[in-house]
This record gives sequence, C-alpha cells and structure tokens, in this order.
Amino acid sequence: MDRYALILDSVSVRYGEKEAIANVSMKLEKGKLHVLMGPNGGGKTTLIRAIAGLVPFKGKIKIYGIESHEYLKRHSIGYLAQRGETVYDFPMTAIEVVEMGRYGTKESRKLRREKAMKFLEEVNMETYAHVPIGELSGGQQQRVLLARALATESKLMLLDEPLTGMDSRAQSRFYRMLNSLRARHALTILIASHDMGFTTAYAENIMCINKTMVSRECIAKLLAEPEIKELYGPNIHLVKHYHLPQEEDNDV
Amino acid sequence: MMFEFLNYSFMERAIVAGTLVAIITGIVGPFLVFRKMSFMGAGLSHGALAGIALGIILGLSPTLMSVLIVMGLGFLIGLVSRTGKISEDSAIGTVYTFFMALGIFLINLSKGYHINIMGYLFGDILAISKYDILFALIVLIVVLVWLILRGRAMLYLTFDEDFAKITGVPIGWDYYIFMVITSLSIITVVKLVGVVLAGSILIVPSASAKMLSKSFMKIIAISVISGIISIFSGIAFSYYLNTSSGPSIVFFVTAFFLCVLLWQFGSNTTSRKVKIKSPSSRP
Ligand SMILES: Nc1ncnc2c1ncn2[C@@H]1O[C@H](COP(=O)(O)OP(=O)(O)OP(=O)(O)O)[C@@H](O)[C@H]1O
Ligand SMILES: [Mg+2]
Repeated sequence: MDRYALILDSVSVRYGEKEAIANVSMKLEKGKLHVLMGPNGGGKTTLIRAIAGLVPFKGKIKIYGIESHEYLKRHSIGYLAQRGETVYDFPMTAIEVVEMGRYGTKESRKLRREKAMKFLEEVNMETYAHVPIGELSGGQQQRVLLARALATESKLMLLDEPLTGMDSRAQSRFYRMLNSLRARHALTILIASHDMGFTTAYAENIMCINKTMVSRECIAKLLAEPEIKELYGPNIHLVKHYHLPQEEDNDV
Repeated sequence: MMFEFLNYSFMERAIVAGTLVAIITGIVGPFLVFRKMSFMGAGLSHGALAGIALGIILGLSPTLMSVLIVMGLGFLIGLVSRTGKISEDSAIGTVYTFFMALGIFLINLSKGYHINIMGYLFGDILAISKYDILFALIVLIVVLVWLILRGRAMLYLTFDEDFAKITGVPIGWDYYIFMVITSLSIITVVKLVGVVLAGSILIVPSASAKMLSKSFMKIIAISVISGIISIFSGIAFSYYLNTSSGPSIVFFVTAFFLCVLLWQFGSNTTSRKVKIKSPSSRP
C-alpha cells in the first residue's frame, strides 16, 4: 500500500445510459510519471474526473491508501482540466489564478501571494504574474494552470491533456519542466494524452484506456486507430527511448 | 437651483435608497454576469410581485412576504438546475412566469385593497419609506459581510467550479448562499424601479463594467459608481419630468452601457492586445 499513490479497483462511470468507463483497475506507483493513453472518447477525462471526485463512480478509488472521497474532504489534489472546460476570459490575473490552489490554507494574503509567485517561477511565468489570464497564449495559460495545480502542494497531479495548445518545442520544455518538478517535489503525476512524441519519451508507465481496457500493451493497437493514421500518416513510427521500461510491441 | 429636489424628504429617501441599491447591485451583479446568470435577477424580481400581493392580502408586510417568496424561488431555481437536467435559464424561464401570473392573479383577487399596481411594476420613488431604506441598509451589510467572508470562494466558484470543488470550496453551500444574497438584493431593487425592470439594474451596470476592466474588484467598483450615477440621473429625470422612476433609471443605466459599447467599438483595434515587456522567446 505504501508503494502506491493511487489505486483503482473496478471503477465504472456511467453518463445516464452510456457507460463511459467500465471496470477499470490500476495502481500508480508513487513518484512516477504515468501516462493514460486512449482514443477520443476512450474515457481518459472521465477517469481523471472520477479520481478527482468530479463525477460519481462505482468501484473503489484509494488515494494514498485512503478512500478518495474521504481523502478529498481533507486534502486538495493537483488538477489541470482538459482545455475548453475552463472559462479563460475572466478578470483574474495569472497570479490570482495560481492563488486558487492555496484555498483552504490559513495563511495570510501576503504569504499566499508569495507562494503563488514561487509556483509561477517554477513554470517560468513570473513575468506574466499580473497579466489577465485571458490575455495569455494557450501554452502560457496551460503553464499558469499547472502552477495552480502545483500550488495545492499536493503530491498527486492529475493533468488532462496538458500539451494542448503547445508547439513541439513548448511540449518538450513542458515535459522537461514537469520531470524536474516531479523529481524535486516527489510528485506522482498522471497525464492523459494521446500524444505519441514527448509523452512516451518521458513516461515511466503507459496505460491505455478504451472504455474497458486498461493495458500496458496497447500502443500498437492505439497506433492502428484510423484517426491517428489520418493524423500522422500511415507510416507512423514509435521511437524507442533507452531509458523507458520497454514494452514488447512498441514498434509499428 | 439645480439641486432643489434634494430638499424634499421623499427625494432624500430616494437618493439614499438609490445609493444603497447601486452599491448592493454593483457587488452582486458581476458575479451574476460572470456566472452567466444574468437572467436570474429578472426571474427573481417577478416572484416579488406574488410576495407583495400575498403580503397585502394577508395583512402582512409586503417586503417580508416578497423576501420569503423570492428566497423560496431562488432556492427552487437552484434546486431544479443543480439536480435536474435543465439549465439555469430554462429553470428561471419556467418558474418565474408562473410567479408573475400568480402575482397578478393575487392582485386581482385583492380588488378591495388599494394597490398602486403601476408603482409595483415600474417603481415609485414617492412610495419609498424609511423602512425600505432600513431594509436596504441591512441587505447592504449582509452583502458586505458575505463579500468579505465568501467573496473569494464565490469568485473561484464562478471562474472554475471543478477546481474550486477540488480545493475544498463547499460549492453547494456557496451556491445557495449566493441565491439568498441575490434574492435579498433584488428586493431592494424592486422598491426603486419595480418588478419589471429590476433585472436591468442588477445586471447592466456590471455588464458595462465588464467591458472596462480585467480586474474583478475594479469591475465591482466601476459598476457601483456607474450605478450610482445612473440612478441619481434617473431619479432627477423622473422628478423633473414627473415620470415613473423605474424607466427613467433604466434609461440612464442602458445609456451608460451603450456609451461604453460604442467607446469599445472605437478603441477596439488599439486596446485589445496588451504588450508585455518580457522575453518573447519563452514558449
Ligand atoms: N458529461 C457527459 N455526458 C454524457 N456523456 C459523456 C459526458 N462526458 C463524456 N461522455 C462520454 O463518455 C465517453 C468518454 O469521454 P471522455 O471525455 O472521458 O473521453 P476522453 O478519452 O477524455 O476523450 P478525448 O481524447 O476526446 O478528451 C465518451 O463516449 C463521451 O461521449
Ligand atoms: Mg478528454
């Protein structure tokens, strides 16, 4: 139990008649970067929202050994929603947005500001601290929202497609930043993504979800998805990275 | 003398009430605007009519009865939209027309009583009593206390409900408390401009302010100030031309909104992009 930050035991979520995910079980080791892959509509967002207590589910979710609803009553967790779920044109500056992560702490206004600034520095956004969130670029907004997730000082980060709106250089920087944050703060990170590039390069554990299936050997299947073929062309190639724990059938 | 109307005590009452209302709506309005609940004010104010009529028929205070009815209505709309599958605006749309009908129906029933229906519908500054001012003052205090204690939580909830929930904002509670705050606020407005036009006073100054600033506190400040100016102008207008106070005030509130809108059109191309002096090489 000590080894795992997150344990899911046959978790199912329904939206009315529609079953979005069914009997998903997984264990996430502490301090690692885990990636949840899957096609559009595969249930990545649903799973993350279930963990965060934002949708009702059947089954068991334990966060640091405690039943998730109990855990969430007493602790915040780091959460970055999929883009499009937040209203961005809102009269709050970047630093005010980051301060949201400090809600519930009894610290003074001044200390809150200082801490928020520290987390903005962590994502290299301190120069934009007083810019309204709606006037930042997509990638900059994502970094501010990451800082907000970090500001909860939770060891568990749930990031739903954090790379949206970033060019490949920004993606690479984002992952490097994430990795160093993970190392420094001993974070357990769960990322939902269907990115084949940097995500697979930095992930220490890749899981795939398509409603029911959660497996480690699905990348080949995923790559065969017609949408992805359409997106990246028929000759997609997955590059193996030497520092990754290897799966048997990574190559296509 | 330009300001002779201030000597009249009913005028003083109207001015004091107008100021209180402008502050209350200037604080509450921006939350409604950013929560996309602009319709809420209009919906709740129509419920006030039923309360007023009920109060008169039962021989109880119309203000008290409208507080009860409007708060009940606010709670009902909240309940229907939070637990049901329909959106807030459809919930308001279905519920408030019924209350409006009920109000008119009750007024019809109370034919024997002397009811100034035009006054209730469109506002009558002559009818503002010192109790109305006292009520508005109490509501203002409640609103200020709420802003201090729950303002931050409400702001977070308005910006991003999911994240607010995860960080422990009791979103259900805050939502219902906000309904109560909105209900109390709308009743103070109803006295000044009547049932039909109250929604405008609650929303329009905040909608104008929204275009003028990117800071929530400044938006509140601008909507308070522009509200006070519009309400004063409206009251003066209504006094000199002997018109109903409601339409006169709404006229100025809307005129201000249009001015801001036109000004925005004019300066749109130049002011939209904010230049930041910082390394642009960062992704
Ligand atoms: N609020 C909702 N109501 C009804 N059905 C929903 C809702 N949210 C998601 N679904 C359905 O649940 C399934 C899983 O959706 P989900 O958003 O979890 O997928 P995803 O893997 O995050 O997709 P994407 O890659 O597009 O973000 C989809 O079939 C979707 O249509
Ligand atoms: Mg998703």
